[in-house]
Amino acid sequence: MSGDTFFFYAFSALALLGGLGTVLLRNAVHCALALMTSLLGVAGLYLLQGAEFLFAVQIVLYIGGIMVLFLFVIMLVNLDQASKLQQFGRQTPIALVVALAAVAAIFSMLSKSAVLLPASVSLTPLTGGNTETVANVLFTDYLLPFELVSILLLVAVVGSVMMAGKRTE
Amino acid sequence: MNMGDHLLSWILFTPLLGMVVVLAVPSSNKYLVRWVANLAALASFLVSLQLVLRFDTHAAGFQFVERASWIASLGVNYSIGVDGISYLLVILTTALTLLSVLASWSEVEERLPAYYAMLLLLETGILGVFLSLDFFLFYVFWEAVLVPMYFLIGIWGGERRLYAALKFFLYTMTGSVLMLIGILILYFAHANQFGVRTFEIADLMRVQLPIAAERTVFWLLFLGFAVKVPMFPFHTWLPDAHTEAPTAGSVMLAGVLLKMGTYGFLRISLPLLPNASQDWGIVCILAVLSLIAILYGALVSLMQKDWKKLVAYSSVSHMGFITLGIFSLNVKGLTGAVIQQINHGISTGLLFLLVGIIYERRHTREIAEFGGVAHRMPNYAVVFAIAMLSSAGLPLLNGFVGEFTILQGAFEVNPWWAALAVPGIVLGAAYLLWLYQRTMLGELTNEKNRQLLDLNLREWAVVLPLVAAAFWIGIYPKPLFEIVEKPVAQIMDRLHRTELHQKEVQP
Amino acid sequence: MPANFMPSAAEYFRFAPEIILTIVGTLVMILEAMTGDRDKSSLGYVSLLGLAAAMAAAVAANNDPGLAFQSMIIVDGFATFFRVLVLGVGMLTILVSTNYLSEAKANSGDFYALILFSVVGQSLMACANELIMIFIGIEISSIASYILAGYLRDDRRNNESALKYFLMGSFATAFLLYGVAWIYGLTGSTNLGEIRTVLSHGTAPTAMVGISAALMLVGLAFKVSAAPFQVWAPDVYQGSSAPISAFMSAGPKAAAFAVMVRVFYTSFDSISNQWEPVFWIMSLATMVIGNFAALQQRNIKRMLAYSSIAHAGYVMVAVTSHSAVGTAAVMFYLASYCLMNIGAFAVVTWMARDGEKFVEVDDFSGLAQKQPFVTAILTVLILSLVGVPLTGGFFGKFLVFKAAIDSHLMWLAILGLLNSAVAAYYYLRVLVVMYFREPGASTVNLPPVAGTLRVAMLVTTLGTIALGIFPGLILGFATQSSTLGK
Repeated sequence: MSGDTFFFYAFSALALLGGLGTVLLRNAVHCALALMTSLLGVAGLYLLQGAEFLFAVQIVLYIGGIMVLFLFVIMLVNLDQASKLQQFGRQTPIALVVALAAVAAIFSMLSKSAVLLPASVSLTPLTGGNTETVANVLFTDYLLPFELVSILLLVAVVGSVMMAGKRTE
Repeated sequence: MNMGDHLLSWILFTPLLGMVVVLAVPSSNKYLVRWVANLAALASFLVSLQLVLRFDTHAAGFQFVERASWIASLGVNYSIGVDGISYLLVILTTALTLLSVLASWSEVEERLPAYYAMLLLLETGILGVFLSLDFFLFYVFWEAVLVPMYFLIGIWGGERRLYAALKFFLYTMTGSVLMLIGILILYFAHANQFGVRTFEIADLMRVQLPIAAERTVFWLLFLGFAVKVPMFPFHTWLPDAHTEAPTAGSVMLAGVLLKMGTYGFLRISLPLLPNASQDWGIVCILAVLSLIAILYGALVSLMQKDWKKLVAYSSVSHMGFITLGIFSLNVKGLTGAVIQQINHGISTGLLFLLVGIIYERRHTREIAEFGGVAHRMPNYAVVFAIAMLSSAGLPLLNGFVGEFTILQGAFEVNPWWAALAVPGIVLGAAYLLWLYQRTMLGELTNEKNRQLLDLNLREWAVVLPLVAAAFWIGIYPKPLFEIVEKPVAQIMDRLHRTELHQKEVQP
Repeated sequence: MPANFMPSAAEYFRFAPEIILTIVGTLVMILEAMTGDRDKSSLGYVSLLGLAAAMAAAVAANNDPGLAFQSMIIVDGFATFFRVLVLGVGMLTILVSTNYLSEAKANSGDFYALILFSVVGQSLMACANELIMIFIGIEISSIASYILAGYLRDDRRNNESALKYFLMGSFATAFLLYGVAWIYGLTGSTNLGEIRTVLSHGTAPTAMVGISAALMLVGLAFKVSAAPFQVWAPDVYQGSSAPISAFMSAGPKAAAFAVMVRVFYTSFDSISNQWEPVFWIMSLATMVIGNFAALQQRNIKRMLAYSSIAHAGYVMVAVTSHSAVGTAAVMFYLASYCLMNIGAFAVVTWMARDGEKFVEVDDFSGLAQKQPFVTAILTVLILSLVGVPLTGGFFGKFLVFKAAIDSHLMWLAILGLLNSAVAAYYYLRVLVVMYFREPGASTVNLPPVAGTLRVAMLVTTLGTIALGIFPGLILGFATQSSTLGK
């Protein structure tokens, strides 16, 4: 097993276990920490792919920014009651079966396809740094989506302000 | 008024125009609403009378044809025309609408403008079915008829009106959606074979389908038509709808609406699907269903305690005769069927009108409630006797002409058919005479019947035209036969040609 | 550095509707802050003007069809049709809402701005030529809808509805995004046309392409509420305010169908033998579940929700037929569906009144005697939903099943048509209650039909009738545009 493969499996395991922990743990703070672990695993996977920019963004934005906010919220909001509630409904066994079936289906299909990446996809080697390439693509080909995401964010901001705003009498 | 070349459009849309006018009249003035509605019905009848003056009995094919593109991209045309078969039904429709509207004068009190509007809308819908030469247009009117009828039964009907209205709507809707599939198969077959998208019935006749496909289409269309006729075993909606509908609704339902089904067989099934229609297996099934309808309808009528329900079940029996005539597939059978359509409209329409008259006075239809009515209402009893005898098929009255011709036709194909249908006539006479005996004759036992008043002037006006027609057709049916001759010959010609064609194809 | 990435004037022109809407949406929010405590109905009119301007721009853009912004968007007849449709839906929604919001004392510019932004998203979905764009469009439309569903924050049902919609909706978009990632991995592109080209070579492993198509289908099926991803719709439609239910059942659905058709007909054309059977089953299941569940409903919003599921099933039949005729049928059906559904919800809005007290079918008892105008409106709309001739609904169904038979989907057509006969039963119950029952407590003190609501009712009803008598009005355009620009 080469180093790359080892790290791939390690980071994947981290991401998956973190995800499971987020769903299964009872304490909200633990959940948040598990989510952080999961995000960290994904960040590692980015790094393995040679996407340093995404790696950095993942660490700074998700783990550094968003997760810290999450933790603040969790600590400010009283979650004692929530932790006493039943965590899963009666559908859990069915959901488990369905999920496992879906996984099995994907795996069986994957194992049938001998060629994983079709030859038609040519990975062009990067010229210049990773960050520069991302910037180039983002501000030329993907300029419109980039701009449109700002509308998406605007809507989200308006929404959260409205949801959190003062209650009408 | 110069109606020029748009006579049929005038006929078709005059009731609609009348409906708009009725709705525009202030609803508080019931008297005015009634007058306007009657005038509107009269106007549409008078317009249709122009057809009587101008219709050429000796010309083959369709007359007064109008054609305009409606939905170009689908090849749907507004194309209408009449031949002998539809000509008779058009006159029957306008006449019966006029009489129904007149008959409703004192029966209906609630929501008058809407009531008359629905009757007039119904008239346009039914006329549209009889006049359409485009299958799509036909279907549109076919479905459109459901709505006014649904409301007529549902709002102004008897106690179980909701159930009856819903049953009526769902049965016919189910039948007609299946019919739609049949229509579309023909449409695509035509588009594939000739490269032209069209719903024109005349063009669709050119379509050559493999016999299996033709049978499928036949059954799909059959379901649509059979529910409407109604043929056994699709008849169960009919007694409910008839019984619960207001008098005018029953008259329209029995008088003309049911004819839409048999008209569909004549206008569409036979000419468009000649091979499937002559398929011996299919013919036998349909003949057997018709015979069951004849006997079953008559037997069930015999057992009815409700006056109106009895007449309703008798319709099942009489319509059985018509389908038997159609699927005898010979000149006599078809001619008899077309004429019987009219006769059934006249005699059953008259019976329902008469039941309505007595119901209005007594608010019950229980046969047991009556007895000896003839003592108080002698004129009514006479008219009822005529209606009854006409329905039972007594010579010199209209019913005889149609049923006798049908039996002749059936006999030519298979004597057994005729032999099995005859008990239907006998039973028909039995249940009607028994009904007459129980209601009209005997002692006046029920005190409530002592106050009964005989026919008033308006009621005379309603029943007399039908009585006259019954006698006229019974004594001198020749003009009727003349009108029917050409279109029947055309259908027969179409059936024979495919038969010959098939023989040529076979080595 | 490529020099040609600067967009030309023509490209901005093709993108003008979205630009106008965004500007007006922002403007409305600023005006909201500036107007203080004054009546906010005027902001509704500003939004209406904005939508009208965007519609004009969308129509004008169709004169010069083509790609724009590095093939991110495509303006063709199909896109224009759906743009105009979702813009129209936005206008009708505002007309329905104004009075409702005033009564609920919740009239604010935010509401209108959110409607505008949601329409931006749907308009993007209509003209997106790229999976990333599709995703962003769906997200803009959805997030705005989530918030609108919970707009009346003091209403428990609103909150529940918004939360359900948000959780399930996010889950569904995740599936969509996962599918997009797969397809990018397989083909190296997110451009619909390029994906089509790569896939038509047949080098990509079909099983994996199938998985990615399936994942995207899950996301889209959720948005159109096709079975088995329809469970959210009744709860959300019931819980949200009636005008918002009207909006959610029309705009996002139409746009999602536009995306579905474009993605599957363009990109996944070469693997149609894989998805056609899936669509076949889904469309049947959607029709059956929608219609049979609607039979049981006593709440009119829930009934309309299930009926809208059933209608999604009919549209799926047209999609399954996988032909130009089918595309035209999808377009026509959605247009008539949007009209009649918004119209029906407009009546529900009027009937429900403040706090939505009267939302049972039985509350319409005897309406015919009390309010002939609304009764007439609802009668036409219900008959159109049933599919009675001379209404838009009839032609929609006719075209759908015509397309199905044209593609030899005989059994689907038969089962679908029988379904539409089943549907007649529960629709007619509304008519029964209105006409055949005596007025009850709910029909006492009926409110007047406010001006804007009246306009919405009239427009939807007359539109429905117009489509029924002169289907050529839009059928011609739909047929022309049914071959998608690729």
